[in-house]
Amino acid sequence: MNSSDHANPLKISSDRLILSARANLTQKIMAWVGQAFLFFVASVAATAVLFIIFYIARDAIPFFRLRGFQEFFGSTRWYPSGSPPVFGALAIIFGSGLVTVGAIVVTAPLGLSAAMCLSDILPFSVRQAIKPIVEILAAIPSVAYGFFALVVLAPLLQEDGGPILAVTWYIVALPSLTIGIIMASDLLTFRITTEKKRSMARRLLALGLFAIALPLVVFTGQILFQLKITTGTNALNVSFILGIMALPTVVSVSEDALQAVGRELREGSYALGATRAETIIQTVMPAASSGILAALLLGVMRALGETMVVWMASGNAAQIPTPWFNYLEPIRTLTATIAGDMGEADHVTGSARYHVLFAMGFLLLLLCFVCNMLSEWVVSRQQKKLRGEV
Amino acid sequence: MNATPTPLDFRPFGESTPRPGNPVKSIHVDPKGAQDSVYVRATDFSIFYGRAEAVCKVNIDIYAGLVTAIIGPSGCGKSTFLRSINRMNDLIPSCKTSGQLLFDGVDVYDRRLDVTVLRKKAGMVFQKPNPFPKSIFDNIAYGPRLHGVKSQAQLAEIVEQSLLQAALWDEVKDRLSANALGLSGGQQQRLCIARALAVNPDILLMDEPTSALDPNATSRIEELISELRGKYTIIIVTHNMQQAARVSDYTAFLYEGALIEYGETRQIFTNPTRKHTEDYITGRFG
Amino acid sequence: MRISTRKLLDRSFSSVGVISIALMGLILLVILVPIFRKGIGALVFEATVEHRRLILDNFDHGDDLELAAEIKSAREARQPVYEMVQAFESRQQAKIDSLRPDLETLAERDDSMGRLVARRLKRLGPDEDFLEQVETIQQLVPRLREYGDGDDAPKEIAAISSGITRITSQTLAFAELKEVLYDLLGPAPGEPMPQLTRKQYGQTRWEKARETIDHLFFIERWDYSGPGMGTLVREPRVEQFRETEIEPLFAYVEGHAEAMLQPRWTLYWGFLTDKPLDSHIFGGIYPELIGTIYLTLGAILFAVPIGIIAAIYFTEYAKAGRLISFLRACVSTLAGVPSIVFGMFGLAFFLNVWQLPKGVLAGSLTLALLILPVIIRASEEAIRSVPHTYREAALSLGAGRWRTIVTVILPAALPGILTGIVISMGRAAGETAPIIFTAAASVAAPLSLNPLQAWDQPTAALSWNIYNLCTEHEAADEIRHVQFGMVAVLITVVLALNLFAIILRARIAKKLKG
Ligand SMILES: Nc1ncnc2c1ncn2[C@@H]1O[C@H](COP(=O)(O)OP(=O)(O)O)[C@@H](O)[C@H]1O
Ligand SMILES: [Mg+2]
Repeated sequence: MNSSDHANPLKISSDRLILSARANLTQKIMAWVGQAFLFFVASVAATAVLFIIFYIARDAIPFFRLRGFQEFFGSTRWYPSGSPPVFGALAIIFGSGLVTVGAIVVTAPLGLSAAMCLSDILPFSVRQAIKPIVEILAAIPSVAYGFFALVVLAPLLQEDGGPILAVTWYIVALPSLTIGIIMASDLLTFRITTEKKRSMARRLLALGLFAIALPLVVFTGQILFQLKITTGTNALNVSFILGIMALPTVVSVSEDALQAVGRELREGSYALGATRAETIIQTVMPAASSGILAALLLGVMRALGETMVVWMASGNAAQIPTPWFNYLEPIRTLTATIAGDMGEADHVTGSARYHVLFAMGFLLLLLCFVCNMLSEWVVSRQQKKLRGEV
Repeated sequence: MNATPTPLDFRPFGESTPRPGNPVKSIHVDPKGAQDSVYVRATDFSIFYGRAEAVCKVNIDIYAGLVTAIIGPSGCGKSTFLRSINRMNDLIPSCKTSGQLLFDGVDVYDRRLDVTVLRKKAGMVFQKPNPFPKSIFDNIAYGPRLHGVKSQAQLAEIVEQSLLQAALWDEVKDRLSANALGLSGGQQQRLCIARALAVNPDILLMDEPTSALDPNATSRIEELISELRGKYTIIIVTHNMQQAARVSDYTAFLYEGALIEYGETRQIFTNPTRKHTEDYITGRFG
Repeated sequence: MRISTRKLLDRSFSSVGVISIALMGLILLVILVPIFRKGIGALVFEATVEHRRLILDNFDHGDDLELAAEIKSAREARQPVYEMVQAFESRQQAKIDSLRPDLETLAERDDSMGRLVARRLKRLGPDEDFLEQVETIQQLVPRLREYGDGDDAPKEIAAISSGITRITSQTLAFAELKEVLYDLLGPAPGEPMPQLTRKQYGQTRWEKARETIDHLFFIERWDYSGPGMGTLVREPRVEQFRETEIEPLFAYVEGHAEAMLQPRWTLYWGFLTDKPLDSHIFGGIYPELIGTIYLTLGAILFAVPIGIIAAIYFTEYAKAGRLISFLRACVSTLAGVPSIVFGMFGLAFFLNVWQLPKGVLAGSLTLALLILPVIIRASEEAIRSVPHTYREAALSLGAGRWRTIVTVILPAALPGILTGIVISMGRAAGETAPIIFTAAASVAAPLSLNPLQAWDQPTAALSWNIYNLCTEHEAADEIRHVQFGMVAVLITVVLALNLFAIILRARIAKKLKG
């Protein structure tokens, strides 16, 4: 049955439903070839990372063959061009760790409270307006951050580092001290039953605590104020900038995690009379904890792998600061060492000097790989949890 | 769904006399004597999603040139069955079939079958209007271009004919290059019908084509179906029983994947043989 | 806890959140504002006549007639300065000449001292540079002392020695003054043109000229006599030249600085289109800009087709399974590789194994690897968000799988894919670490616009040269404006790309809403 009166000029020669064996075969082969091509391209793209691991490892292994592990991981003496050369990377590994920890200390409180604010406190329209800030922070190239650290921040720290630190300390410490004391005095007087007595005790206790704590805060502030910073290109500078660079990742990933917790849980908590802060801290945060952990891991990855900022603004001194937590001394990181030393080393491919940099690169790759795997694992666990599979 | 008023009214909304173009009762096809006018024939045909059987052992003959309605409660397998006819179920990896489904005498699930040709012969209209985000012209010309029509003049001809058939030409002839998403819902659905007609199919598969439309647009689509009747074999899935009664010659009632009853629409709605069917069409469940 | 305490905690909690967001905004401003404020200074500034001379000499932009008039009037304004200097010099010369008779007496002696003095005398004379003459005599005096230190020493030696000491005290100050003047105005008329471009011109930027003028007026030195770090002392230079011909120079310069340099607000587009001169002390950043464009487009060229095809495979063809989830894990690992490691891989693989030359191609390939995961993810997401109904419609009309993808799905996903491409362009433009070993050169001729000639050339690039200029340049402090300009240009490029992406995304959202 066909509409022959229909003026449709569409004529199809092969309008037969059943293909000949041959046509069928060609069609199948074509489909297979096409799909194989797509698979090939996709797997090349995906397995690029295996190539990377392989080629980095291939140039890293000769170093350990030549010099073993002892020196690399055990010594803090880094004299690659001395005679005889010494390749102790411990101080450099320590430097990487130090700035990464510093970056997380900056980024975690800031990023998490920003994420909570975005997901639970601000209305939707404001949130849309704020998103670009995070996006711009993420988009600024690392060399620009490095330039800022070197040209703007470092002189500032060197000139007025002490006062800046002191002011920061007061801004952070005074409000948290006040709130902490109010909370503590309330909690500690919980057992007193008479309302009048209790209120009296609470006030006395608060005053007492304040009298003890305030001098401590001021004392610390004074010490910070007097601090003389000999060089602005130090671990503190770099940690601060790396923390800012990790912020966008931490904010957006942990915000997603907080949003994923869902309405019901929040409403359940509000229904029990909890305030917003209590809801977020006691209910939402634990439920989103793995997502937040993943966010922090990604932040660690960003800080650990960053090159330009540390190369430009860390001072590049291969030493463990004294004392080891002294953030005001220059340090050196794995990434900066690779970037800085390759220029002298790559003429002599095959030397320990060249391969030691690949050993560092491999170490870096390994650390980032572990962070990545951990964060994926943590996220997938949370998803399973939300689906009720665990 | 609304309770169906009985006795049933076979005429479209607001029409007191049957229209000449809508001769529902004038064609009579004898199911037994009309072997060569059977266009789709299912024999013990079952469809599974993984383990779950969505359609089980259906035996049905669908006649050429007539409008066949498939009714049944939500989730009974109407769409699944309809989509198996042009093998749209291939998209779902877990979907498997057993038994036989003949389309124009050819086994649809034959391994040598050319799905492209099958789908060209079986145009489909979906529940929600789904024009491409392209111009009206390009929407209609999409199918013909696909099947090798290149000349602009021929394409223009096809577009006009298809739009005329879908009763949309007068409304859109001045803005063929406008984006199709700018049309109203009813117009979009007629555009989709025109698009399906443009590849010159033998059969039109319509999956609840009016469920997303307002009553006015619905009645226009129903009129259109009546106009297309006789030129195309039409299978329409609906769970609006008045609609089935108004537009179809034959009606099949599916329930939980099984074909409960199949026969002339008039007979199904006035004198169902099965208790189940009666319960359904009188609105006792569903 | 009491209700009021709980409320207080709640409120402070909220304000901590709001404050941290405000802080983020503030940090962004603190970073961007100085960079843009100073960066604009590379393009818009008060340029002196020296700048216009430089531009005309080296790049041939500008109006030579107008400039000639300007130079003439500037020269006239400078003339009195040179005259004062001249007058001072000739008086000093006269003083030197007054030592001559004594020297000549010594030269007549018939011993080694006499021969030495005779030799030195040849270097003295009104034709010789006056400062050099002073130096010659200064060096001569101690040697004369060596010859005769006893009582029998000729009395001329003492006379010469005391005479030269008197001259020297003002000469040193004069030499310094002349150097500052040179910095300000460039070579004096009649002086031979030096080789280095930076020596051929005076201050080209008015704000720098003002600093130099300040140096002219005041001597700065650090006084460490007190306790602690030492204090900066500024002494007027004029004190050293009281009652000499130089004394009125300071007042004159103060009054005529603008006439001497003719500062004028200028929009210097050449910063983007001119070659740098004398390692970026003058000129623009054209090679960096073109290098960045080459590297970015090259990276896109390689990464986009592969990325989109991979995304199509993962979304449309791949069936769930071990192999596929392994491949997906690989892509996500690739996204987490530190950028410096990409650079090392580029060095170890593209340069050492494939034997590509260090240049645009190797750099682009390395950057392509870096942005590949971004493009794959963005494209996957865009393809996934194409409504399923489009696919069904196309298939039901008899389109094959591939035809459906090409004619319906990709066009519908295009804005989303483009967003990903644009964002990754920004990423590629800003990255430094991957190109350090594979493409970057600190000093390089601008790339040819013909890719066939450019592909194997190492190139300057904005990101790399920002690093290079502010850490390795010999006069990094002197060319801050160039560095700020480069950073501002780089950030502008990247942010413009991101803005474009944001707009694209907003349009998609609108479209999806209908
Ligand atoms: N993609 C699918 N995967 C698994 N089960 C499905 C899928 N689509 C439909 N089903 C199941 O098949 C049955 C029939 O569905 P359908 O044909 O859509 O019903 P109807 O169109 O009659 O409402 C339902 O039980 C439904 O849950
Ligand atoms: Mg359905």
